Amino acid sequence: MAGCSFRAIWILTPHHSVAFSRTFPVVERRWRSACARDGEVETQAPLPSDLEVAAAFTDRKQREGSARGFGICVASSTPGSDSWVDDPVTRHIITLHINREEAEGYMLWPVIVHTSGNYYILVLPLVEPKKVREYRKLYQRNNCGGSVKEHDNLSSLLLSLPCITGAFMVAHAIGDLIAGETSDPEVVATSSSSAVGGLLDTLTGSIGIGVAPRPKPTSVPILASASSAATLMGSTLVDSSRTMTKPIDKDLLRGFISGSMPYGTPVDLNQNNIAAIRTTGFGSADPPPADLRQPAWKPYLYRGRQRVLLMTQETINAALYDREDIPDSFSISGQINCRAELEGLPDVQLPLIGVKPAKVKMLSVHQSAQYSDHGEDKQAIVFSPPVGSFVLARYQVSHATNPAPVKGFYQLSLVSEDGGQFLFRLTLMEGYKSPYCMDFCTIIMPFPRRRILSVDGTPSVGTVSMTERSIEWKIVTSGRGISGKTIDATFSGTVRFHPRVVNKSLSVSLSKSVLGCTAAEDSDEERESSNNSVNVEDVLMEKLNRDLEAVDLEEPLCWQAFNYAKVSFKITGGTFSGMTIDPKSVSIYPVVKAPVEYSMQVTSGDYILWNTLARSPHAAVPKDLC
Amino acid sequence: MPLTPFTIPQIALSDQNLVLSPPSDVNLREIRRVLAFLLDRPRDLTPGAISVLTSALVDIADALEDCVPAVSALLKVNFSSLLSSHNPFLSHSILSLYRHFSEAFNEYDIGKVAYRLQLSASDTGQKLIFRLLALHWLFGSTLLTSQVSSLTSLPGFYPQVFDPLAVKAKKLDAISVSASEGDGAVSLLEDGLVCISYFRWLPGWSTETLVAFRAMHKLLIGVMPHDGSDNGPGRTRLGSLMESTIFADLENVLIHLALEHHPLVPVIATFISRLLQCETHSPIGSRFLQTLDRCLIPNLKPGYGLSFYFPLLEKISENETVAPKGVLELLKRHMVCLTDEHGPDTGHRSWSQGSRVLSICRVMLKKHKGSQIFRPLSLLLAFTCQNFPDLEVRDNARIYLRMLACIPGKKLRQTLSIGEQKSGLAPAPLPASLIDVPPHPSPDLKKSTGIASYIHLERLKPPLVKQSWFLPVQGSVPALSNGSGPAEGGIMDIVTSVAPSSPDESNKTDSSKVAYQKEASRVMDPNTALLLRVLRTHFGCIPDYRVMPGIKIRIPCLLRFESDPFIRTWGFESCDEQTLPALYAIKITFSTLSKYGKIPSCRVPFLLGDLLKSDLAIVAVGQGNDESIEHSNFAKVFLELQPEDPMPGLIDIFINANTATEQVVSGFLRPVTIGIEDMFLKAILPPNVSDMWVSRYYSDLFDTLWEACGSSVNIGRETFPLNGGKGAVSINGKQSVKFLEVPEDVLINAVERHLAGFVVRVAGASLVKVVQQNRVIENIVWDEKEEEEDDLDVGPSGDDFSAENALVAYSREESELDVEYTQAEMESNSNDRSLAIVDKKKSVGNICVLIFLPPRYHLLFLMEIGYGSTMVRMRTDHWPCLAYVDEYLEALF
Repeated sequence: MAGCSFRAIWILTPHHSVAFSRTFPVVERRWRSACARDGEVETQAPLPSDLEVAAAFTDRKQREGSARGFGICVASSTPGSDSWVDDPVTRHIITLHINREEAEGYMLWPVIVHTSGNYYILVLPLVEPKKVREYRKLYQRNNCGGSVKEHDNLSSLLLSLPCITGAFMVAHAIGDLIAGETSDPEVVATSSSSAVGGLLDTLTGSIGIGVAPRPKPTSVPILASASSAATLMGSTLVDSSRTMTKPIDKDLLRGFISGSMPYGTPVDLNQNNIAAIRTTGFGSADPPPADLRQPAWKPYLYRGRQRVLLMTQETINAALYDREDIPDSFSISGQINCRAELEGLPDVQLPLIGVKPAKVKMLSVHQSAQYSDHGEDKQAIVFSPPVGSFVLARYQVSHATNPAPVKGFYQLSLVSEDGGQFLFRLTLMEGYKSPYCMDFCTIIMPFPRRRILSVDGTPSVGTVSMTERSIEWKIVTSGRGISGKTIDATFSGTVRFHPRVVNKSLSVSLSKSVLGCTAAEDSDEERESSNNSVNVEDVLMEKLNRDLEAVDLEEPLCWQAFNYAKVSFKITGGTFSGMTIDPKSVSIYPVVKAPVEYSMQVTSGDYILWNTLARSPHAAVPKDLC
Repeated sequence: MPLTPFTIPQIALSDQNLVLSPPSDVNLREIRRVLAFLLDRPRDLTPGAISVLTSALVDIADALEDCVPAVSALLKVNFSSLLSSHNPFLSHSILSLYRHFSEAFNEYDIGKVAYRLQLSASDTGQKLIFRLLALHWLFGSTLLTSQVSSLTSLPGFYPQVFDPLAVKAKKLDAISVSASEGDGAVSLLEDGLVCISYFRWLPGWSTETLVAFRAMHKLLIGVMPHDGSDNGPGRTRLGSLMESTIFADLENVLIHLALEHHPLVPVIATFISRLLQCETHSPIGSRFLQTLDRCLIPNLKPGYGLSFYFPLLEKISENETVAPKGVLELLKRHMVCLTDEHGPDTGHRSWSQGSRVLSICRVMLKKHKGSQIFRPLSLLLAFTCQNFPDLEVRDNARIYLRMLACIPGKKLRQTLSIGEQKSGLAPAPLPASLIDVPPHPSPDLKKSTGIASYIHLERLKPPLVKQSWFLPVQGSVPALSNGSGPAEGGIMDIVTSVAPSSPDESNKTDSSKVAYQKEASRVMDPNTALLLRVLRTHFGCIPDYRVMPGIKIRIPCLLRFESDPFIRTWGFESCDEQTLPALYAIKITFSTLSKYGKIPSCRVPFLLGDLLKSDLAIVAVGQGNDESIEHSNFAKVFLELQPEDPMPGLIDIFINANTATEQVVSGFLRPVTIGIEDMFLKAILPPNVSDMWVSRYYSDLFDTLWEACGSSVNIGRETFPLNGGKGAVSINGKQSVKFLEVPEDVLINAVERHLAGFVVRVAGASLVKVVQQNRVIENIVWDEKEEEEDDLDVGPSGDDFSAENALVAYSREESELDVEYTQAEMESNSNDRSLAIVDKKKSVGNICVLIFLPPRYHLLFLMEIGYGSTMVRMRTDHWPCLAYVDEYLEALF
């Protein structure tokens, strides 16, 4: 079956009613003829109505524990459920059982689920009926689980279905649209104080047609940290984290769908392009260049003052243990954002400095770009820039040349069940000289399952504030960034909690569904377990862990099971990995005189100081990465 | 008809498959031009367009493979670089080209693709789903998988601390797939699991735990995939898997987890049951359970903490391949522990834990063969129903014990399965036989005829007298018409010779007669009055068996059967040679022609066959294991007699039992012999006799009865009412003597061995010394005064003594002859007894023996012990017994 097309798109509200739906009769026709060719009974069944989809989705949620499902085979899994397939991907590619009163029910697969702004976006791509049949075999298998060594395993099925990947792209694009987010990466112009807008701003600026104001683009990394901060505050359940739901702009959505995927086949999912075409169309001001091939993903050419903005963004994930048996681990992921305001269709060559010493692994580049790696120090990216901001390349560094910007340790000793003593000893920006500048640095000690009564102690630097569930220590506040100097910060104190209230009902229900057993013996267990651990602290943690909730598979670990402090900071003026771009050596062909502005920024991702005195999660380090 | 745009080509709308003719040259040229045009421009297309293009290319290239051979070469040049795009849709489209035109790419290219996918799985900037998909693509193609399965690239799959759990799970999959290729790679999986190693401290329902166990499961099924895989039927690899280090390591991991982290026990149980439910992998699950039974169960301690392990114990008990002994013994210790630790605040816990244990017992009952579980389970249940603090648990235990004991295995399993159909896959038809009375299988007479040769009911202690009378004499049947009524069954012809006479009617008194005689009160001398008072007291203690429970005699017997002949006769569905045949619900009924009252039948719930034909079983019983629970290879049965006439006899035995195959075994066994000594009892002690006067009382009673049974006329017509008030008896004594030509030490030994309990007095200084030294006979009257030989009689009256003089004289004559002979013989043989012979005429002393013969008779011995010979004077109020006593005394030595 050629290409990638969609039979239907549904958007469900948090309460599982259909807020928006769109079906594509052309694609449906193809589906039917394919079914007829294969002799499938599904031919008879038209696409489910909105109500039926909503009912099927609710039904699945009840069957599979949550809207997404277990993802992994649990004790309560039965043949004919997604978790029976025993793969985390079934939290994203689901099956809906459509039950009909008047006719026989049937199975709808693959339904792509994506959540955005509390909405569930469901996309049903067109696949060959025999693929559905293959999946049904996995879905109803009568043995204990699949292995990739078997024929017709889930992996080979997914590999043979690019339309599923396409459906995810569509779902994400729609998700971004209804959440009001843009996928535009952040590019900071160093010369002008104002942030640079997106494509539409460029277009409207040059063409002069007013467009309804859109929310200011927000940078992706900060969003990511915001969502992980939400996690820290103890609201781990995705289903209920955001209660506020923005109404869907249906006109915008309809416009996007008809523009980006006419007749159910996606053409271009770039929101900005679609919006620009919709708003402005193609006038006589935009003749196609006669001598050059204009790419489909660049419907408009830029006109105006020429310049190139480049930005390196790095995110550090770190786990600091301060222990001899576990080495600290750092991983840096970086990306080069670009905004090339160049007229015509030029090629740009971008030499990279310091790729080899930093052992940079180039993960991916933009569709228009090519990465060339010749020799010891001749790495460059050649690209033909699209309009607007885009991510030029993404890379990963496992071997940083710079020292850790925040070093030190965090110790928390729970003296009793309702209180503990803690100690921080940190060194900031050691070994970093100007122009590295730390904009801000904040440390958060989350206690998501305890209510904090009081905190005693004064830090050597900065200020301390307290919320109900966390303690925040601002070492460097924004606006008073530090540059060229090292800060030693210590903070020791005590923290007291309100007495603990055990919420047993949840853990019982969880254990029932996951383990298929009851926690009726709890009282016995509590009495007995204390004998096994000698350490008081372990006993306390074990007690606390007893009513832990299982985290979603999307989380890296069960945060609530550990005591840690999370460091957030932002450093500008350099990269952590040491890989940079020399703006002067950027060459543009055909040659034009365009200034190249380059900025660098390092932000913290999951930068965690684990409590040195307690258990902490760690991972084995592969030898070649050491 | 839905509205469709006119630009849609007709082919998309047509329902029929169009039959295309082969392309002409012009067509081909056009096609080539179009292809060249498209292949030149992939960079200018949007990802969606490229997707359409690639799938179109695949179709075209398939169709025109011969006509346009250069397509695949062009693909490589124009599309390869797009693979590194961070648009996953684009990457996937390109990947599908690699899939279809794999011959166009060399190994290096493929390796690069695999590496790229591996990298994008680690790309933290990418969205989660695309990281997962990248791993799926990588392992969806065998071409790519082979590139990363090498050990060198595996560390790339080590999960990072901050990888989402879904990615961790998939990365672990990747490692376990590769690790299953070789033993050396197991450590890789262990390293990989480090990232979620803290699951040990999390509750069992945590996602981390699920991920960890999933990885272990994937490793197993990676080594041994289900049928239809590349590796052919997985079964052939089963053996090698079980021997591999992967398997041993996994076993160790599980045991360690179960021991150290008990919240994970339910997870381990779920893990194993998942394997058990799978047709291909159930042997692995069984093997795990066996290992746990071997290595975990012995290390568990009873106590409240054991409740953590119940899910696992349930799994072990459900599995038929694991011997249930270990679990049951642990549970027994647990129940003992619960009972010991029971206190005022443990009521609920005792109940809940006891119930859990019983539910495991129930599983055992359902899943295992009765022969395997009977002994340990019955011990456990018996202890529970007797001692457990909680009433409900006790009750249930009793019910289970009953079921275990009384219902044959197959039926028991059916009974327990009632109401549990919902869990089973195929509900077994409800056996109607459980509700209605089943059509009783008629006993197979042919098979039952020979059962006496291999089912044995034997006395624990064989009777002393090997009764020659009881020899089965077939020809003597007509003799049984000797007034004892029609013989039932007519088999036991020996009975006729055993009970030669009908019971003496005159010895029995009916109440009216007693009442009449009671009225006759006479004047008598004080000596007689004292005598009568002692006798009335004594007889007043003897129950009248007609109106109240009489005196009972219990004879311990053993029931056993030999396996080999049993199996030959009855057949046996045995799964292994270790399993022994069993009899269920054995009922033994007794019948006899002797007057032993109604002998209650015995029931033995369950009996296993003998392993060997040796008498090991009997030796074991000799060690005094007197529990009422039957032992697995023999059962202890008590014959309970209530003799109305103290005579030896034979008891016929009829057995009725079920086999495991629901056949009925029934028939007669060899009869059991009852000897006269089985009737010997101690006289009943009146309740008002204090402990210190017991020996004196017996001594006085002996004297009184001796006198009463003598030829005294004083009490000849006197009647003595029995306990119960309805009956009375009179004493009609007879006497006899017996000369025993045995040395005194032999005699003393024999008395001490067989009659110690009945000795009431020992007289004579030297005898007293000897007997006291032996310390066998105690708490009697010791009379150390030297007696003259002619003053043997301890009785107060000289008259009766004279009356028996003739007998004594006669005996003496004989004895002298005998002694002389004996002496001569001894002298000729040896000289070591010369000392005794010198004093042979001299008496050593007397031993007085008082024996009560139920229902109301007495047997008195007065043994005059001399050196080398002994004169036993006997008196009794039941003269028929004297005939047997004579033989008995001879058999003593």
